[in-house]
Amino acid sequence: MKARIFSFLLVCALAFGLTTNALAQTYSFQLTKEVVHVYWNGDGTIAIDYQFTFRNKVSADAIDFVDVGLPNRFFSLGGITADVNGKPVSVTSDYQGQGSAGVAVELGGQAIRPGKSGVVHVFIARVDQMYYPDSSDEAYASGEFSPTWFGSNFVDGTTDLSVTFHLPPGVRPEEPRYHAAGGGWPGAGAPEIGLDADGRVTYTWQSVAANGFTQYTFGASYPAAYLPAEAIVRTTFVDLIIGGIASLFTTLAGILPFCCFGGIIFGMPILGAINEHKRKKQYLPPKISIEGHGIKRGLTAVEAAILMGQPLEKVMTMILFGVVKKEAAQVATRDPLELQIAATLPAGLREYETDFLEAMRQKSPAQRKPALSAMTVRLIKNVTEKMKGFSTKETVEYYKAINEKAWKQIEAAGTPEVKSQMLEEALEWTMLDKEYDDRARRTFTGPIFVPTWWGRYDPVYRHSHPTFSSVPTSTGMPGSGSGRSALPGADFAASVVTGTQTFAQKILGGDFTQGVSQITNPAPVSTRSGSSGGGGCACACAGCACACAGGGR
Amino acid sequence: MGILSGWFGQKAASVSPGVSLFHYRLDENGEQARIHLRLDAEGSGTLIVNANRIMHLNPTAAWLAKRLLDRQADDEIVRAMMKTWQVKPAMARRDLSAFRSQLAELIRPDGACPIHELDLETVAPFSARPSAPYRLDLALTYRCNNDCPHCYNARERTFPELSTVQWKQVIDRAWALGIPHILFTGGEPTLREDLPELVAHAEANGQITGLNTNARRLADVNFVKRLVEAGLDHVQVTVESNDPDIHNRMVNARAFEQTVRGLKNALATRLFVMTNTTMLRDNVASLPETLDFLAGLGVQTVGLNALIYSGHGATVGTGLPERELAPLLDLAREKTAAHGQRLIWYTPTQYCHFDPVQMELGVKGCTAAQYNLCVEPNGDVLPCQSFYQPIGNLLRDDWAAIWNHPLALRLRERQDLPLKCEGCALLAECGGGCPLQFPLETLKVLNSTAG
Repeated sequence: MKARIFSFLLVCALAFGLTTNALAQTYSFQLTKEVVHVYWNGDGTIAIDYQFTFRNKVSADAIDFVDVGLPNRFFSLGGITADVNGKPVSVTSDYQGQGSAGVAVELGGQAIRPGKSGVVHVFIARVDQMYYPDSSDEAYASGEFSPTWFGSNFVDGTTDLSVTFHLPPGVRPEEPRYHAAGGGWPGAGAPEIGLDADGRVTYTWQSVAANGFTQYTFGASYPAAYLPAEAIVRTTFVDLIIGGIASLFTTLAGILPFCCFGGIIFGMPILGAINEHKRKKQYLPPKISIEGHGIKRGLTAVEAAILMGQPLEKVMTMILFGVVKKEAAQVATRDPLELQIAATLPAGLREYETDFLEAMRQKSPAQRKPALSAMTVRLIKNVTEKMKGFSTKETVEYYKAINEKAWKQIEAAGTPEVKSQMLEEALEWTMLDKEYDDRARRTFTGPIFVPTWWGRYDPVYRHSHPTFSSVPTSTGMPGSGSGRSALPGADFAASVVTGTQTFAQKILGGDFTQGVSQITNPAPVSTRSGSSGGGGCACACAGCACACAGGGR
Repeated sequence: MGILSGWFGQKAASVSPGVSLFHYRLDENGEQARIHLRLDAEGSGTLIVNANRIMHLNPTAAWLAKRLLDRQADDEIVRAMMKTWQVKPAMARRDLSAFRSQLAELIRPDGACPIHELDLETVAPFSARPSAPYRLDLALTYRCNNDCPHCYNARERTFPELSTVQWKQVIDRAWALGIPHILFTGGEPTLREDLPELVAHAEANGQITGLNTNARRLADVNFVKRLVEAGLDHVQVTVESNDPDIHNRMVNARAFEQTVRGLKNALATRLFVMTNTTMLRDNVASLPETLDFLAGLGVQTVGLNALIYSGHGATVGTGLPERELAPLLDLAREKTAAHGQRLIWYTPTQYCHFDPVQMELGVKGCTAAQYNLCVEPNGDVLPCQSFYQPIGNLLRDDWAAIWNHPLALRLRERQDLPLKCEGCALLAECGGGCPLQFPLETLKVLNSTAG
């Protein structure tokens, strides 16, 4: 006779919970054997005895604790004991498994190492509110139980699972009714019936083809007369619905046992979801760090412009300003742009400046443009080399700050003379501003004294100021006394912008940047092969540093 | 899965409590890399590429790196991420994708610079506090077939030596501690007949092996072949000058021809070969010619260092003041750049005298008892090859007692700094230079509680 057949409203208690561990994804094991004894006691409580035999996989982490789900929250933590291979271990309330209630068995020093097996024994002395009326027979009480189970991503293989119900003392063998084992139980639905050492009737379900990740359900009904009346939980359907809804709003699950009615299980999916959320750790995005420097100081304005990805025509204009400022050249004509280069180049020119001058010596655009391209490629590679080991992001911010400081100093200058002095020192740094044109127009509103070298850059200005000194050139350009005068600010700003545009349109052409990028942007092609370790590095990353690797003998 | 297509082999070690070390090999598009992933107890990790690029991973990055290096499928990883953390699928996929790209570049030996090209977060130089060093130098013997007057060795040549079995135990203990890099040194390590056997043992563990040598025994092609077959990864050969007389005088032996022949033999193999030259008054004049000479031999990586003030070096009197180093290193940079060589500068200096960062030579500071340790021929542990104050014995003593020995802590925490270093902005990188320059017992230290 199958009790379930007669049930109309069968209220069941599910020992429900998914056993997990803190870093569950690193766990992988087999549950080769599981023996469960459920003692349905005459006082209306139950006791549960689990014995798990785990076989941990070689590649997995050690099993260092086991979460054991419990039927409800009406248990006493103090009454739970555990051991591993006979050695006591602690049990805590830090349950992180799925479901509303449970305990964590902390294996500590008894952790089951990779490749090893171990037997974890857990005894739960008392769980209350486990008996419910049998809907098919008012004179009967009933209970259902699911052994705790494990996540399918952690456990595989088959489990020799044995579940034994020890029915309340006094129950005669002919009185109880079993419920067909559910959840896809691979063994016989009907249990073996027997008597334990205390003479209590036992129902035992056993299968070697079970597994550790399925929730199997077992149940039994027996005369309520063997139990105190108050031990039977009488819960209405409405209560159950409320219980299910309430569970939406609280993670204090376990407010009500789960119920089965017409094949519907209320509450469990909801609680399951809530607790799944609860057990996860807070996510922090992956981050890799390396020892090294933040800011690369000491770059020139031109190098900083390269780093900041300024348009190449602006970079060229900055280089032009540089060589003019250093008296290495002066602009002969602005359109077409031709330079008069000093017969003897001054000391202290940067490599990119001498390269630039060499390129500008070329009269033919067909020769000049490739030379400028080669110069630019070299400049970019040099900047890349200098930046090794330094943070691009932090360095760019640093030079942005320098740019801003330069502007602020110019803007704060009280007199045209002071402003001019500031400009003299910081023009290239102001040009790092992406919005240079607008800002220059906003800043240079009144007349300003142009830098002392301005005449070498602007032929018109030079010719209108005949006292201006020029660069001694191979063509024998005569020098003259120095001097400067005020220029409308707007004209000055426009002159800088025009210079940049001239480079863009007349010298470089539309495909210049693209041509350079084709050389510099792709990741360097590896040429090294055959080495498989050691070696050193010449970059500034401290993480790559290998000081004192044994030289000096 | 592009980054993983070239993997072959993996060896995992479950090592000291809470620490795991995993070893991977990459052989792809002509690039070869040995990658070690050290996972610490608290979940963070250290990624070490070819034993010379060291990156620190937060727990999420360490978790992802392990799975990517293990060739797990994206879907599997994302599912596991969602089970582990409160993360939405889209974010998990996005982060996984970005991390995969980053990792792929980082594990390439010739990949982008982690800092300025990949914009990895930088932490202060020498700020990591690993549970064990990244490199262990094994001074197999203090015997030597040279007799350099400037040698840093402070021990008798007859110093007792461990047996082959004991050295293997040392190597295994290093592996168990999560140390991925073994450097054989001395004395002259090639005088140990069991050197190839020890190399093979370390390689079988998964460790990268290197050799510091005067290369005289490498003049024997068969010996070189044995080392190569044992799996040796890199060799550093000491060449003091292109001038045989200067070289021989500096090593106090007629060694030049043998050394050069040994160097050539090593260069003819797959080994990563570099030279090292100690710049002293004896050889500094010949430095330009020496660099040309090495380039002519086909040496791609050239190392230079200054005198180490230990052993004979403490009294030889031929060292160059740090303030005189800059023009020499400038010259070396020009020469090596012109030859297309890589220049490595080794010596920790006081940056106020010689700043290797400004010289674009990289951050150089003392890493003794922090990123490297040395084991003496008898198993005693030194903070570095030249610092002759044992802090324990690797075969006998508890690791924690060695690693946290008061001297190790003093060096690691840079407690013994000259007073003048107070407030210096460069202190993190500089660290006061080589501690051997100023004997600790005589030093007026910045940290008055030290020592």
